[in-house]
Amino acid sequence: MSELVIKNLHANIEGKPILRGVDLVVKQGEIHALMGPNGSGKSTLANVIMGNPKYEVTDGEVWFKGENILEYSPDRRARMRLFLAFQYPMSIPGVSVANFLRRSLEAVREGNKPLEEGENPTGQATKRKNSIPPREFRTLLQTKMRLLKVDNSFINRSINDGFSGGEKKRAEILQMALLEPEIALMDETDSGLDIDALKIVSESVNALTGPNLGILLITHYQRMLNYITPDYVHVMFNGRIVKSGGKELALELEDKGYEWLKPADEEKDVHGQEVTVNG
Amino acid sequence: MASTMAKGLSREAVEELSRRKGEPEWMLQKRLQAWDIYENTATPLGRRGDLGTLRTVSNFKFQELIPSVSSITSDGDGGNALSPAIEQSLTEALVDERAGLIVQRNGSIVRTELNEELVRAGVILTDLETAVREYPALVQEYFMTRCVPVDASKYTALHAAFWSGGVFLYIPKGVEIERPILAQIWIDEPGSANFVHTLIVADELSSVRYVNEYNSSFEGEQVALLSDVVEVYANNAARVEFSNLQDLGQNVWNITYKNAVHQKDGSTTWVMADLGSKVTLAHIGATLSGNGSAAELVGVFFTDHDQRFSIQTLSDHAALSTNAETLVKGVLTDESRVEFDGMIRVRPGAQQTASFLSDHNLLLSKKARAEAIPGLEIGANEVSASHGATSGQIDEEQLFYLMVRGIHRDEAERIIVQGFFEPVLQRIPLENLRNRLRRSIVRRMRGTSETEADTWVDAQERWEIEGVDEHAVSLDGPKADEEIQLTEY
Repeated sequence: MSELVIKNLHANIEGKPILRGVDLVVKQGEIHALMGPNGSGKSTLANVIMGNPKYEVTDGEVWFKGENILEYSPDRRARMRLFLAFQYPMSIPGVSVANFLRRSLEAVREGNKPLEEGENPTGQATKRKNSIPPREFRTLLQTKMRLLKVDNSFINRSINDGFSGGEKKRAEILQMALLEPEIALMDETDSGLDIDALKIVSESVNALTGPNLGILLITHYQRMLNYITPDYVHVMFNGRIVKSGGKELALELEDKGYEWLKPADEEKDVHGQEVTVNG
Repeated sequence: MASTMAKGLSREAVEELSRRKGEPEWMLQKRLQAWDIYENTATPLGRRGDLGTLRTVSNFKFQELIPSVSSITSDGDGGNALSPAIEQSLTEALVDERAGLIVQRNGSIVRTELNEELVRAGVILTDLETAVREYPALVQEYFMTRCVPVDASKYTALHAAFWSGGVFLYIPKGVEIERPILAQIWIDEPGSANFVHTLIVADELSSVRYVNEYNSSFEGEQVALLSDVVEVYANNAARVEFSNLQDLGQNVWNITYKNAVHQKDGSTTWVMADLGSKVTLAHIGATLSGNGSAAELVGVFFTDHDQRFSIQTLSDHAALSTNAETLVKGVLTDESRVEFDGMIRVRPGAQQTASFLSDHNLLLSKKARAEAIPGLEIGANEVSASHGATSGQIDEEQLFYLMVRGIHRDEAERIIVQGFFEPVLQRIPLENLRNRLRRSIVRRMRGTSETEADTWVDAQERWEIEGVDEHAVSLDGPKADEEIQLTEY
């Protein structure tokens, strides 16, 4: 069973510390909700786990399937079947979803190894090993689209280009369904969705859950948890996880807000001032 | 079979070339006048501070080259055998789809085919040398007169003095040719100077699609020159679509001058794909001299190594209610340099003009340089004209997004390049050409997997879904569970 193990993770952006010692374990088959106020470092955590070069890891480790993945490129992490559903999916004009998804699936099927690239001179194309015949790809994508009740026209469009907020989030879930990750990080998948869209997206996520998928569901609000029931709830505050519990913790947060969880020694830091924190 | 000419370009060489062709006196005189213009015209050197393409061409050693002449005489077919590379290319390109074929190798036309029906309808497709003998009135009226005058530039004058082989296509009034005519030009002689001319006259209410391919098939350091001129006449309400795929080796220098002249309601489309050559000096123009005429230019280029391109476009509005649209997209990598000079000229009295121009460049390397100079000269007041140019690098956030989906950084770059080109490629009318261009672009990018082009082509062209069900996307509507209809192939 695959495990994502985060140990004492520290990370900066442009020299500014965002993560200040995160410890977390997510196993295949489990659903974890990661909650916390804006700016607490939730999205940063997801980006650092995937290797976004904007962030600098200053301390700690991220283990996946028994390997420390911090030195791996983002694409290799994805090929290990780690997935990130973006809060703000990028649009890539001119690249159709069909083109992109087939290549993505082919890449992920290459598995956990560095891909040798850039060695071939111009005009010396090599054959890709895990090429998926068009018909097979279509059948597979068709199955996933039906599972998630996604409209056919999706795949002819450019990736996220001109998509509504809801469509972008559904496209992320469709990618997740196709790539079959073992651990998926879902970054504010509920943000920007009206209640109907939220319901549809949540149903899509529920259609994918099971013993083979572990989820870290990052959310600011409790409302998505009305549809997706977490096994564990963690609260992040100022770059660290300050409380963990069962699903009832989410309801408590809904009632009381986040303030009561603020650690006493970080009083000033919430207002953006430097403090020293004892691990 | 004639022996080759001596090295070097001179008045004597012009006379020798004309003599070998057994040309009428008027053509010899035209050549000699052109030679004089060439000699008396100052070499264009570009502007101070530009990227120096014109200056590079000015240092080109023209005198080291041997001008190509026709290698076949009218009675023999020596030299008519095509090399395996050409034969293979002919079996791949538009085989079942073409209405005609004309192949030029260096200085000679080596094959001409035209659909019987079109021959009966009066369409003429022949080498220009034959046209000089058999249709002198047409050639005298149209060859390097109003469309690309001999003195359009120093290099067009040189071209007029030394042209050899050449294509002459005449479409009579009212004849519409739906399937494309394919022209291939092959350069396989290192050290040769090849002056290839294409003259297309589309008479009233006729239409034609013409696909022009430039290839070379020789290796090594020694260079060759391809100097080509294309003249298109779209007479009253005629429609001409001219697609140019330039995939020359990087030991060929290409100086090209193309223009289209429009009569009333005539329209043209230029599709320009420039992928190869060491240096390309290109002028592509549209003279909109007929009321209601329209011109479209769709251009793509991809440069690498130390390739240098200078691309000049001109939309010249000289009549009432004319339209022009120029859309150019290019990708530059390594140390390549591209200058783009796009001009919209609206002459006094050219009212109700609409003209649009854009040039977008994507730089894949820090050493690649692109310079775009869009220009507007407006002499009328009832005009809608706009232009824009951008140059930029690949967005890191887009790359990260693709990489998080398992795709290697290099491939992610290539996917973004494909997406960058795709909207322009979709403007290319012929599917066959679109796909060959996609494949050529993919081939040009390092580290490409063979299947990448297939996947791209498949996604864009084959993936048509019928019976889209709107309920499926509606967020609260009834859930559709219909079979998705995929177009099989």
